[in-house]
Amino acid sequence: MADSISISGMGIVCSIGNNVGEVLSSLKEGRRGIRTMKYLNSRHNDLPVGEVMLSNDEMKALLGIDDPAPVSRTTLMAVLAIREAMEQAKLGDTRGKRVALISGTTVGVMDLTEQYFAQMKTDDSLLYMPQSNECGRSTNEIAALSGLEHARTCTISTACSSALNSIIIAAEMLKRDEVDIVIAGGTEGLSRFHLNGFNTLMILDKEPCRPFDATRAGLNLGEGAAFLVMERNAGDRSLAYVAGYGNHCDAFHQTASSENGEGAYLAMADALAMAGLKPSDIQYVNAHGTGTPNNDPSESNALKRIFGDAMPEVSSTKGFTGHTTSASGSIESVFCILALMHGFTPANIGFSHPMEGGIVPTKGSTGVNLENVLCNAFGFGGNDSSLVLSKKPVGYEPLSTVYKYGIVADETVSDVAELSRLKEFGIGPMESRRMGKLMKAATLSALRAMEKAGVKCPDAIISATSKGMLETSMQFLEDIENNGEDQLKPTLFMQSTHNTISSAIAIRTGCHGYNITYSHGDKSMDLALEDAVRLIESGKAEYVLVGCYDESIPLTDAFAERAGEPVPQPLYARSLILKRL
Amino acid sequence: MEELKIALKEQIIDALNLEEMTADDIDNEAPLFGDGLGLDSIDALELIVILDKFYGIKLSNPAEGKAIFTNIDTIADYIAKNRTK
Repeated sequence: MADSISISGMGIVCSIGNNVGEVLSSLKEGRRGIRTMKYLNSRHNDLPVGEVMLSNDEMKALLGIDDPAPVSRTTLMAVLAIREAMEQAKLGDTRGKRVALISGTTVGVMDLTEQYFAQMKTDDSLLYMPQSNECGRSTNEIAALSGLEHARTCTISTACSSALNSIIIAAEMLKRDEVDIVIAGGTEGLSRFHLNGFNTLMILDKEPCRPFDATRAGLNLGEGAAFLVMERNAGDRSLAYVAGYGNHCDAFHQTASSENGEGAYLAMADALAMAGLKPSDIQYVNAHGTGTPNNDPSESNALKRIFGDAMPEVSSTKGFTGHTTSASGSIESVFCILALMHGFTPANIGFSHPMEGGIVPTKGSTGVNLENVLCNAFGFGGNDSSLVLSKKPVGYEPLSTVYKYGIVADETVSDVAELSRLKEFGIGPMESRRMGKLMKAATLSALRAMEKAGVKCPDAIISATSKGMLETSMQFLEDIENNGEDQLKPTLFMQSTHNTISSAIAIRTGCHGYNITYSHGDKSMDLALEDAVRLIESGKAEYVLVGCYDESIPLTDAFAERAGEPVPQPLYARSLILKRL
Repeated sequence: MEELKIALKEQIIDALNLEEMTADDIDNEAPLFGDGLGLDSIDALELIVILDKFYGIKLSNPAEGKAIFTNIDTIADYIAKNRTK
């Protein structure tokens, strides 16, 4: 029998439960986890949120962490979820096996950074904390606290599809026999930073959210973590199987989805094709369904393009948990696995009035036999991913090396004076006005590389960045510090996610292909190149744009100097084109 | 009213980072969105911040902005009628 990708363990912490058992009963009983803010310290406490009902100290106590030093919620929730997942998988001693931990996050440990940001500027004893939006540090901390020091670690940052993309990369690594066990998922703690960010975009509802409802008025933010243990052929220990997946870019807008949901459609179509399934083989879809005016019609259109009139049961579970952003893909994958195992579908809480042209979600059902389910997660910049999970094993084609690759272009931009040369590519002031210097440098290096390689639109775009758009992100954080939580600039927030560069290049080139961003410190570029090589060697892409983009600012340089760490280059953007030979 | 319009244009140029543009370049009656100046939905959110920050006007629903933000004249008119500072 062909090899298959088993899920042998899962762990979850979110607003409807601190473990799989609690989450299962909340889902079955329709118990909502959206409440008045309790742990997040924000002036906008009129906004309901889906908080994990544990304080940081309670989580530390559960984990037996005695060290009084503050730890981020993003880290603590992940360690709780990983512990549960590993216990269930009965992995035993994993030393001597090839183990990887892949975590998806965007805000990372910002909850901690923002709390101590002002003090960090003078107090050296706080410099052990990440002083900027460096996602990789959070993953390494999670590994250390989970007894996974021997694991390969990797961080994926594609905004709200981060965790689903972690699961996808885990499956690819298993299929290529690069690892034996992968612990994959995502984690995101609520922060003032992203609550205010979403607030500047005016997409937060002051009432509990109502996905797919005519009266929907935005999302509620949630938090949580979920991780899956994934292995090849886990036999009786398998809870479910990864049957197929797709990752595409909507290539439409930084913060909005296209009307026909092109990226979502392509991602779902790919996931079905890989699983060897017809749309009619899917009995339940866990939709991304954020409850914003823009997402739900776009996703409805994409679902109708796939399923036509034979729509399976569909629900958004964001009415239970709120939008758990980077963690949503793995949290909702756990919901899907529970649905498969226990024969029920979760309700779409908050729905009562059908919207014009929209899908009509399920009220939830019990006693149903589910064989295959689909889970969607879409992120800012149109990073759209979709996953098919199945009750029975679905064999896969081993990803063997069929093709060789070569590097046909390699362009670096590191001089601010060069940035005005974007004009040579027809990018005028109206377009460049919102681009930070890193975005300009990245775009210029990418366009030059594509020109040199004679490519107008690559098949895939893979980016690597340690700190992302540091200048705009830190400006947004400073504005919150200095001016309070009002009158903040949406322009700064929309550029603060690490995947903003990769998606901006996709939008410019009209590239709907595979699109992903690695944010794992110094290792980011190595991980991005490994992924590009995987795509080309297995014949999935002919031309891949791989970029490494980072900048530094005086504020974080000063932090680095005081911490005795090397001060990074002020500006560095390198774009390569890898070509199938 | 003319003074208000000039101040407003300068605030818009600054908030939207309209490099290489001065208040004189923006016609009071020319559309700001679409075929006119070419602003988009994110710019509309920045305009909402301007109304709040400089004129004490809070819009709670971005859809309200659509009619108000037609051109400089319509914004100035709305500010004159609704400003609290």
